Amino acid sequence: MKKYLLLAVSLILVGAMLVGCASESTSVLDKIQEAKKVTVGTSADYPPYEYIDEAGNKAGFDIELMTEIAKRMGVELEWVDMPFDSLVAAVAGGKLDMAISCFNYDEERDKIVDFSEAYYTTEDAFVVTSAFTGTITVPEDVANYKVGVQSGTVQDGWLTDNLVTPGLLPEANLSRYERVDQAALDLANGRIEVLMGDYVPIQALVAQNPDLRVVYRGVLSTGPINIVLPDGDTKLKAEVDRIIKELQDEGFIDQLAVKYFSEQ
Amino acid sequence: MDFSQFLSYIASGTVYTVGVTLIALPAGLLIGTILALLYVYGGKVAARVMNLYSTVFRGIPPLVLLFILFFAVTRGVNLSAFWAGSLSLGMVSSAYQMEIVRGALLSVSGDQLMAARAVGLSRLQAIRYVVLPQAVRLAIPPWSNEAAIVIKDSSLVYALGVPEILRRAQLIGASSQRYLLAYLSAAIIYFLLVYATTRLLNHLEQKLSIPSNP
Amino acid sequence: MPKPILTIKNLTKIYGQNVIFQNLNLTVNEGDTVVIIGPSGTGKSTLLRCINLLTRPNEGQIWLDDLEITAKGTDEDQVRQHIGMVFQNFLLFNHLTALGNVKLGLTKVKKMSDEEATKKAMHELSRVGLADRANHYPGQLSGGQQQRVGIARALAMDPRVMLFDEPTSALDPELIGEVLEVMRKLALDGMTMVVVTHEMGFAREVADRIVFMEKGHIVEEGSPDEMFNHPKFDRTREFLWKITELYGKKEKEAE
Repeated sequence: MKKYLLLAVSLILVGAMLVGCASESTSVLDKIQEAKKVTVGTSADYPPYEYIDEAGNKAGFDIELMTEIAKRMGVELEWVDMPFDSLVAAVAGGKLDMAISCFNYDEERDKIVDFSEAYYTTEDAFVVTSAFTGTITVPEDVANYKVGVQSGTVQDGWLTDNLVTPGLLPEANLSRYERVDQAALDLANGRIEVLMGDYVPIQALVAQNPDLRVVYRGVLSTGPINIVLPDGDTKLKAEVDRIIKELQDEGFIDQLAVKYFSEQ
Repeated sequence: MDFSQFLSYIASGTVYTVGVTLIALPAGLLIGTILALLYVYGGKVAARVMNLYSTVFRGIPPLVLLFILFFAVTRGVNLSAFWAGSLSLGMVSSAYQMEIVRGALLSVSGDQLMAARAVGLSRLQAIRYVVLPQAVRLAIPPWSNEAAIVIKDSSLVYALGVPEILRRAQLIGASSQRYLLAYLSAAIIYFLLVYATTRLLNHLEQKLSIPSNP
Repeated sequence: MPKPILTIKNLTKIYGQNVIFQNLNLTVNEGDTVVIIGPSGTGKSTLLRCINLLTRPNEGQIWLDDLEITAKGTDEDQVRQHIGMVFQNFLLFNHLTALGNVKLGLTKVKKMSDEEATKKAMHELSRVGLADRANHYPGQLSGGQQQRVGIARALAMDPRVMLFDEPTSALDPELIGEVLEVMRKLALDGMTMVVVTHEMGFAREVADRIVFMEKGHIVEEGSPDEMFNHPKFDRTREFLWKITELYGKKEKEAE
């Protein structure tokens, strides 16, 4: 009796190990091609990269880009909207095949996911209200004021590493928000004095709100934006990178930039 | 986007909110009732285990449990965001509902059980035909409270990507810059859901109440 | 030859440090009405609850007819079908009508059909004079009515013996009479009854035997005539005199 029990247990363990090993060596790309569907995550609260249009559909630079990528992969695209903070964990946990949401390369993130080649380059911006009386000539000047930023973003990282940690900006003066529009609200009601974020969405906010103005623009924390991919999946990355290059060479991405980022 | 489109975008999340509630609440009731019966009638060891369950699941913020279940536990088992969310909320609710049912069971006097035994009913029969029917009536008011809480807590599944009311309000608010309108719309929808549920349960309470002369 | 329905031998019950009673002996014959009297807290209720096994005695044996019900492995639920109990606080099932209360044991324990059970239950309710209140809930009945339903509920199971634990102590004085009347009729019909009560009038009139219990001991027992008129012990005389003062005087005046 005992003998059979031991045999059964060992078989189950070996089986589990094989299954585990097997799933590690298959690429998500194979799964996508077999199912004829790719599941992509995004946080559609970030115009003009990803947002909800008049008809209630997802729209934006990232959205249109990914739609084209899926088309070229020859598969159906299924969008999953999630709060920005949850996206990386979802890709790492196998809940999403990939995610596109104006992601910048980040060392911490790289530990659990991979990044495609950059598909575009963004800039940072500092924005204030018309009530602002201070001076910002160099980026480090913002340490003198109350600053707001979207939590978990590269701007958050830049502010923390360059201003908070060396003691230039007191921790209490840095407010982190789940979303940029929440930060913008606090900027409007004076709880924060300066908001740091991606230039393009900030510009979109400024276009809608004449009370805001950009006081600095440049590449500090941002730079290239990438698609987030499952960790170690070289096959999928190769395919996605290939398509991105194709689209860049064709000028598709430049056209999208003109469509979505042209200043009013 | 005109207002009716705006509102219908947010309101279309209602089906998810209702869906999550309709899984979490009954799951919580079933598990909570079984555990409560074990707690009250199952002996000392059972009571200690139940107490631990209650302390653990009432001590963790539901959102934390949602994340654990969706991101950590389900690597082997493939649970969708909707099911991971609904089941986590069901587990949390079961701990609170266990306490509600337990309270109701204890409120039915132990003498009722004794009188039932004296007639010849077994312990199980006495609990089923004498204690439980009386306990149900006592449990409805606090349960109505729990139902309202689960409806509102269902919004937590937004963190897993379920397109329910709150998340839709966030998205449309960010996209249109009309935040107040978006969140007010969401609030009104939640209010209506809770109000309807509470009215329904009040009606049930009336129907089940035992007649007496004051 | 009187046949014993209940035989109690050397019964002992201890709660923690308190000895409720020790080495108690009592026999109840078929058709007897045994009334147990004594100061409160002397173990009378505990004794009743040992008889129908709601409480387990520490030592001693109890026989119901020829079956030793205190033996290991006895089906307690089965035994309780044959011993009816009426409680001081009535303990009706609050969520059921009077009819429902009386029917429950019949449908769930005796497994009668709903039709049969209703018939039997209505019969018992008529016996206690409450057929017209069958569809009332306990909350809609007076104390006396509730207690009579309690009696009907116990009678419906056709018990061998009925136990009454201070059945009128929780009733308003005006309502006591209707309950005692039901009990008196029951005794006359030949039901074997063990009644714990302070109602001396009932004891004197209906009891076949009166048992005086104090501090867990049976001080004395005998016929009503013996106990009231020629008690052997002073303590008996003292207690009866005091209690007759309170309860019995009204009867004497009525005579």
